[in-house]
Amino acid sequence: MDITKFKELTARLADAKGVSGSEDGIAHMCAELMSRYTDRVEIVNGNVYAHFGERRDKPHVLLDAHLDKVGLICTDVRDDGFISADMVGGIDLRSMPAQPVIIHGREDICGVICTLPPHLKTSDEVMTKDQLYIDTGLSPESAKALISRGDPISYEAECRELIGDRLCGAALDDRCGISTVIQAIDELHYTDDMPYTLTVMFSTQEEIGERGACIGAFTVDPDICIEVDVSFALAQGEDRKKCGTLGGGCMIGVSPTLDKALSDGFIAFAKENDIPFDIEVMSGTTGTNADRFTVSRGGARAVTLSVPLRNMHLPCEVIDANDCMTTAKLITAFLRGDVKC
Amino acid sequence: MLMSSETKTLFMEILHDLCEINGTSGREEKVREYILDRIGDKASCTVNPLGCVIAEYKAKPADRKLMISAHMDEVGFIITYINDDGTLSFDCVGGVSPDACAGRQVTVDGNPSVRDTDKCCPVGTSDKALDVESDRAADRYVSSNVSTKSLRPVGNDEKAQNGESDRAADRYVSSNVSAKPLRPVGGGIGTRPIHNLSADERKTPVRFRDLYIDIGAKDREEAERYVSIGDSAYFLTGWNVSRDGYIRSKAIDDRIGCAVMLTMIIMGLPEYDTTFTFVTQEEVGLRGSRTAAFTVQPDMAIVIEATTAADIPLSEGAQRCCELGKGAVVSYMDRSTLYDRQMYDLSRRIAAEKGIGWQTKTVVAGGNDSGAIHISGKGVRTMAISVPCRYLHTPSSVAYGKDMFDVFDLVCEMERALREEI
Repeated sequence: MDITKFKELTARLADAKGVSGSEDGIAHMCAELMSRYTDRVEIVNGNVYAHFGERRDKPHVLLDAHLDKVGLICTDVRDDGFISADMVGGIDLRSMPAQPVIIHGREDICGVICTLPPHLKTSDEVMTKDQLYIDTGLSPESAKALISRGDPISYEAECRELIGDRLCGAALDDRCGISTVIQAIDELHYTDDMPYTLTVMFSTQEEIGERGACIGAFTVDPDICIEVDVSFALAQGEDRKKCGTLGGGCMIGVSPTLDKALSDGFIAFAKENDIPFDIEVMSGTTGTNADRFTVSRGGARAVTLSVPLRNMHLPCEVIDANDCMTTAKLITAFLRGDVKC
Repeated sequence: MLMSSETKTLFMEILHDLCEINGTSGREEKVREYILDRIGDKASCTVNPLGCVIAEYKAKPADRKLMISAHMDEVGFIITYINDDGTLSFDCVGGVSPDACAGRQVTVDGNPSVRDTDKCCPVGTSDKALDVESDRAADRYVSSNVSTKSLRPVGNDEKAQNGESDRAADRYVSSNVSAKPLRPVGGGIGTRPIHNLSADERKTPVRFRDLYIDIGAKDREEAERYVSIGDSAYFLTGWNVSRDGYIRSKAIDDRIGCAVMLTMIIMGLPEYDTTFTFVTQEEVGLRGSRTAAFTVQPDMAIVIEATTAADIPLSEGAQRCCELGKGAVVSYMDRSTLYDRQMYDLSRRIAAEKGIGWQTKTVVAGGNDSGAIHISGKGVRTMAISVPCRYLHTPSSVAYGKDMFDVFDLVCEMERALREEI
């Protein structure tokens, strides 16, 4: 894919539904996208698996990105027609007042998170999750007919292009990871001569504790895992040593819990081939699905390749599509055996 | 006679148009253009030095001069600094709470009067050249097997605002004029992600200095090609009408007032000579209305507004201020005005007689253009008729269609009654 097509795909994925626990739609969309590259695509217990190669005498690589996105969930349809909600994943309550949302009930319903007018606020405190109410503009009768407890709720925000190749959208974490994996497979043209047997996985429920990854790693039983997720890009107020750079290339993870030889292999390859990258140092676990992969069954070697992203978990996450393209290049090179590890 | 269905349709069409137009205080040009265009020759219009439209509507002559007024500006943002990393620092124009800004998508829009690059095109070529080029730009986003809806460049409601037209515009810009692109650029209001905040920081409300607008520029130099300090920015929220008739949009405050007045003029509803003023700069201190009232020198005034309703689960009793579904809000007092008691009483009686929803506020708070108008010149007898509106000054205010119709009917009735019964 050229970068224009890539951006279209990323935006389309970012705009698809799929709060943690409700990933069916995005899973089917991804399964369909992967069926262009292999006949062996399946959805098992929510996770999407696409298998390449069958030989058992080669190391088995698991390439993963997560399907789900943070959001809210309906906990009650009140008698006055307002919706009570709770958080799914790491939501910043500081940014919730008057946030436009979509409730995925019997149909998609636009709403807005209630907030008191400034002159009625009694304290200078951030709202608590007990104060999450949604105004749908529906009568109590309509609300009760269309919305039920347990309905997932997304931010209402379309993925849009900014200047250059940058995108701004609500669920680029981790939909840009999915499009990056697809880009890598699109360029790969897998054959049995390649040094690895490969399973691409798109996993559920990362945002609430990497649960899809937990069952996925057990199911696939891989030797090597590559996790494609997002990480922090440098922005106003952030600490340079903890961040990558938007447009600065893939963030290659280095951590005691990751495989040093894999990290070093990617770093060396990127250097030799003038592919822009940053090293992301984590002193323990990574906060990604890799944490599950490394200790599943008898253990696996793992590395994280992260796309730098600003405003994580807000409805205006920002990425540079060029960073996805370089991340995909690293993945393709690895799967062809060009990365020494 | 209460609103006909034809009038209701026209009113909603105008309100929708007006809410989608961007125009913060001091940048009301596009709103004014729309209003002047829709009024046409149905009233005689002048524009005062602050940009207020003063429209004299001729019907039956009246002993006392009535001014009906609403403001054109909406709350928004102004760019105050371009950071080294290409992000934009900004402040609010009017009272916007920073917690309603974090994470929102916006458009950043130059000052049209400065950036009117059409004028730089060779005569007769500008429109065509831009159109052709933008068609190609549009093609670029269309691929055979992928839905392109999601990839509209921000603000791309019209082809002329498409990405490629920047270059088309650049080509025709003569050397002595700023070569900035025509279209508004999109952005997101960013702040540090929750993951990197301390427990204390998570409990501390955001401030404007914690927020920045990210337009995707790599550095200051790139940002400066698109944006200048002093440019405006706006919330990007879609207009939505629920199946039960509730409207969610930005800028209902006070495009509702403008829509009521425009519809009255277009439909020819005033029974007596009436001066309609569409004023500027309400949100930054009732500034346009002060000049309009001085110019018009009315005996009486009706201000049409959107007012805070807090009929939500977080508040009870008097704190709810007023409620959606209960009709037009007529105030007796707010922080800017003690309203004319006789006009207030008359509105209540007439609403009851005509079956128009009428309520008042249960909190003395806020203020509107009445504050400037009622003490203008020798003094003006003033009333305010408002639509109750939740989440005022946020990207997603919510109001109820029926309440708007009540406001419309009450304003029409009062236009007549103020001449005949006071």
